[in-house]
Amino acid sequence: MPDDGPRSTGDREDAAELTESLSDRLVSAVKDDAAVSRRAVLGGLGLAGASAVGLSGGATASGDHDGAESPHGRAGVVGEFQSADFDPHEFLRTFETGTVKMEDGQRVREFELDASLREIEIAPGVTFPAWTYDGQVPGPTLRAVEGELVRVRFSNGQDHPHTIHPHLKNVDPQMDGIPQNGPGVIEQGERFVYEWQARPAGCHFYHCHSMPLKEHIHRGLYGAMIIDPDPERVRQNPRDYVNYHGPMTDDLRAELVEEAELRNHEYRADEVDEMVMVMNGFDTNFDGDNEVYAANTRAFAYGVGSTDAENGEWEAGETVKPIQIRRDQRQRVYLINAIEFDLVNSFHTHSQFFDYYDHGTTLKPTHKTIDTIMQCQAQRGIVELDYSDHQPGLYMFHAHQSEFAELGWMSFFEVRA
Amino acid sequence: MTDERTDGGATVARGGMPFGLPTWVGAVAPLVLLAVVVAGFVFLNPFAGLVTGGALPDVTVTHASLPNDETVVLHVTNNGPDPVTISQVLVNDAYWDFTLYAGGEATNTLAPMESGRVVVPYHWTPGWDLHTGLVLSDGTTFTHTIPAPQVSPGLTGELLGLLAVVGLFVGVIPVALGMLWYPVMQGMSDRSLHAILLFAVGVLAFLAFDAGFEAFELAAEVPGAFEGNLLVVLGILGALLLVQAVSAWNASGDVNPLGIAYLVALSIGLHNLAEGLAIGSSVALGRVSLGAFLVVGFMIHNVTEGPAVVAPVADGERPALWHFVALGAIAGAPVILGGWIGSIAFSPTLGALFLAIGVGAILQVNWEIGTMVRRRGSLGTPTNVLAFLVGLAVMYATDLLVAL
Repeated sequence: MPDDGPRSTGDREDAAELTESLSDRLVSAVKDDAAVSRRAVLGGLGLAGASAVGLSGGATASGDHDGAESPHGRAGVVGEFQSADFDPHEFLRTFETGTVKMEDGQRVREFELDASLREIEIAPGVTFPAWTYDGQVPGPTLRAVEGELVRVRFSNGQDHPHTIHPHLKNVDPQMDGIPQNGPGVIEQGERFVYEWQARPAGCHFYHCHSMPLKEHIHRGLYGAMIIDPDPERVRQNPRDYVNYHGPMTDDLRAELVEEAELRNHEYRADEVDEMVMVMNGFDTNFDGDNEVYAANTRAFAYGVGSTDAENGEWEAGETVKPIQIRRDQRQRVYLINAIEFDLVNSFHTHSQFFDYYDHGTTLKPTHKTIDTIMQCQAQRGIVELDYSDHQPGLYMFHAHQSEFAELGWMSFFEVRA
Repeated sequence: MTDERTDGGATVARGGMPFGLPTWVGAVAPLVLLAVVVAGFVFLNPFAGLVTGGALPDVTVTHASLPNDETVVLHVTNNGPDPVTISQVLVNDAYWDFTLYAGGEATNTLAPMESGRVVVPYHWTPGWDLHTGLVLSDGTTFTHTIPAPQVSPGLTGELLGLLAVVGLFVGVIPVALGMLWYPVMQGMSDRSLHAILLFAVGVLAFLAFDAGFEAFELAAEVPGAFEGNLLVVLGILGALLLVQAVSAWNASGDVNPLGIAYLVALSIGLHNLAEGLAIGSSVALGRVSLGAFLVVGFMIHNVTEGPAVVAPVADGERPALWHFVALGAIAGAPVILGGWIGSIAFSPTLGALFLAIGVGAILQVNWEIGTMVRRRGSLGTPTNVLAFLVGLAVMYATDLLVAL
């Protein structure tokens, strides 16, 4: 087996013994299922050589398969990711902040994006011909500050026409990034400069809006766009950031401003462990249903490398490993649902309840103390987690559509002291 | 122009080689030239422009075996022209651990035409369908459903003994009982005897249709690389022509009744082998309840095979008794052998091939019996035709008793 090395865990001798007994059991018992009905019988004939075929190879089954420690089998993918084109662990905490400049008193933040075709690895050994922004799926996480002008220089290097459609409050219809408006679709080899208002503050989404829409999205043209709240604006218009109708006290105002500072990468966001999770899926056989699900493209990439279900031992793999988080730090997940074909996706934490800010447009949670949140397609929000009173160790989180979880959207936090 | 020639004046004498070359050179030359052309294609690749993306992967799961309730074994074949990599395996829409064994080792690729076993350690529930899927490196999926899975019991002496007893009752005893009509048949008029022979032809024709349909049904499960339908056609025609050649070589001149009896016994034996196979594999799958009714059904069904075997020798001298024992054994005992094989292993490819061979053998035997009847009288009399129809009808009716 070329690719199962890292899954070995625990006592190699035990594993070898078990696999040997497993293969022995197989060799002694392999028996083939006869699809012969009664009808087969009349008129027919038998099979002098069939036994040779049925049993061939059985005796050579070797015990070098380290992963099969549990007699009940091990769920999940087999092997490690083989290509290094994309690292979900790196993507998780990477924010593109572009370049900032002033134009006539207006802050302008500039990005460059291109569209290209790229073969990406979505499960160990399984590739997918993706349409990508900047050669990656999800596209780069763009981050700006409320009130800025976001300028994206887009060039299309792919065969098909593409656009970038932002989920922002955009008051210029020319910049909506749809085929029916403004420049329409951007053809191969063409360029266009999109300019968008960075508002409202929150956790947002951009994607290609070419037709057929379902295909352009599920092939990989989407990404996260985070607009940090401006603490000064929050101080002046606190009611824009909270669904609350009581008196606006100084304390509440100060609280909201502080929260805005903790959200803003130019203020104190670095005090929080910020992560981006784009929930996505891939239809590898074009049947209108996803074969692979994930948070950030790679199935089970935030899983444990190998595990022994008998005694709960686990070991991180090279590419398949839990997300390490510090117990004394607040965690914030920018969560976006980019799934196609399925109506909803979800995020569920084990042994943990979190605060949720739908679309991230408020500075007070829209849901408090929940452990499961559902998002429809393109819905997103901010998840704030606190593991300070948890014991160190593994804490699972995943889509609570069990099918999605077992097809790849299954992950772990490794809480460290 | 004085010659009235229509060949344009060609004068090459028949049998002469051009340029005075020896004949063997003429025989070999086309092959040599073919080799040159093939080499040219291999090295120069003149049709490179026609290569557009290559062939699609084609993998077949021929069948699954379930050695115990913790293991699923999928038997897979790569039918395509390119190697395939099985990157992941799905069981009931979940990725699951697996190992692919092919060519005697654990691997993850299958060469063209190569077969292998995907062993999945999965704790399944008897009776609950298993939907399995292979995910290739390019994301292509191939699925296989195992309906109502049951553990195949291990191969024990007890099971073999049981199958032997079942085979005895289902195959050997009914055929032997049927052969006991021999003395009655001996005293019959030619007209009645011919009717009996045509009845036997009807019985065999029914078996040929039944096995033929089953062979093509099984052929659908044969991996594409082995061309299941054509394999069945080859099996039918091959058996027909081979048996015909042997019988024509033996019986130079008159038809040999004892020879025909042996051919009938052999054909029925081949049929009974498949019957045993189906019983054996059903038992192995835990899918059969061999109740008294079913066994009685088999016996009634198979008792008609007895007279078919001995009918060819009813007219004239009685062969030695040991011939009867041999005929009975050849016709009936294969049920036991088939049961054993069926309980151990089964492959759709070989199953379809053997069914086809049986069909071919039956067709030839029917031809032979028809020839015999025609030489001694008339084949197409109303009695004979009706007897043939009765043979078909009796087989159909008794067939309804034995749905496994």
